[in-house]
Parts: sequence; structure tokens; C-alpha cells
Amino acid sequence: MGASRPQKLSGIQKQVLSLYRGFLRTARAKTLENRAHIESLVSAEFRKNSELIDRKNFLHIEYLLRRGKKQLDQLKTVDSVRLSSTNVELSDTKQQSSG
Amino acid sequence: MAAVPVTCVRLTTSMHTTQIVGRTSTMKLVPMGRVKSGFPSLRTSRFQISCSAKPETLNKVCEVVKTQLALASDSVVEPDTKFAALGADSLDTVEIVMTLEEEFGISVEEENSQNITTVQEAADLIEKLVEKKNASEPA
Repeated sequence: MGASRPQKLSGIQKQVLSLYRGFLRTARAKTLENRAHIESLVSAEFRKNSELIDRKNFLHIEYLLRRGKKQLDQLKTVDSVRLSSTNVELSDTKQQSSG
Repeated sequence: MAAVPVTCVRLTTSMHTTQIVGRTSTMKLVPMGRVKSGFPSLRTSRFQISCSAKPETLNKVCEVVKTQLALASDSVVEPDTKFAALGADSLDTVEIVMTLEEEFGISVEEENSQNITTVQEAADLIEKLVEKKNASEPA
């Protein structure tokens, strides 16, 4: 199953993985507790979207990529606003799913 | 009288040497190649070339993979096993590579990290990066 799967990733997949890597890298600079918090939230978010969103829905994926990049920049600049940044993330997704 | 013991000694020594040679060659073949049939000599040479990583590195990578994918501790992760075959998706692979970076104190470039699909590949790349790091640090 896995052996036959081609490992070639599309451009947008690479972007998503790169964003994920960026989040994990940024989380390293935070305190242990905040880091674990960020990692679990980010990982849950990526995984949820990977199942929720059709892989051909490029518009939505690109939108999420842009949003994620902004959130990542914010996370990078601000020292440790883990709760506010993660709350924004959660409320955003709620709005999306309801609207 | 004197000729008899001399030939005896010769015989035993030659016996010993052949026995030793035979032993060392099997010692080499069995643990390295783990080959049951076929051409052991060919397989071992191929194995040595592809397996540049040390066993400690391989073991450590296996441990990281196991914890990252939440596999049972008694499950067997072979160097050739693909991460995907263990149930890892691309996000898991990113996590594995990130954890490995921290474990070994290295930094894997993005292009490289996307080429890693097996424990062996990860270990080989790590060895290379660790070597590079050690070479640059003392200077």
C-alpha cells in the first residue's frame, strides 16, 4: 500500500507541509507548556482540515494557507500569546463551519 | 623417528587455519546480510554500501518513529519500512523529521526532508548532517 504510493507532492501540498513545519519550528522557541499547547492545537487543526477539505478545493486551501501564514507571523513576533492566538484560530474555524 | 612428529604438527596447523577462515567468513555473512538463500556475498556488499548509518542511529530513529506514530513498543520497525506503511501521513512525516532534528541537534533542509520515506533514509541523512556539523564545529 505505502510502497506503491508515489512520494511526489504537489506544490500546494509542499506549501502546507512547509507551513506546518514553520509552526512546529516556531513552537520550539516557546516555553515547554506553551509549546505543547501550540503543537497539539496546530496538529489538530491541520489534521482536521486534511480530512475535512477536499484535496481539489484549491481556493479554500489557499485561503487557509494565507491565514495560517499570518497566524504564524504573529506567533513569531509576539513572545507568548498562546491563548489569544489559539482562540482566534478556534473561533475562525467555527465561523467557517457555520457560515 | 624425528620425521613423524613434524608431519603431525603440519597437519594440525593447516587444519586450524582452514577452520578459522571458515568461521570468520560465516560470521561476516550471517549478521550483516540476514540472507537465507541466494548470493550471500553479493547481498552483503550491497548492504554495506546502502547501510552507511550506524546501528545506534538506526535504533534511535526507530524509537522516534515509534513514539511519534504511537506504535506499540514491541512492534518491529525495520530500516526498510516505509513510514507510510506504518500508517504515517505526510504530516506525521514532518513531525518525525522535526523530532529527529531535535534529537540529533541538526537541521534538515526542506527539500531533503520531503525525500525521507524510510528509517534507513532518515538515518543516512542524519549521519551525513551530523558529520557535517562535527566537521564544521571544531574549526
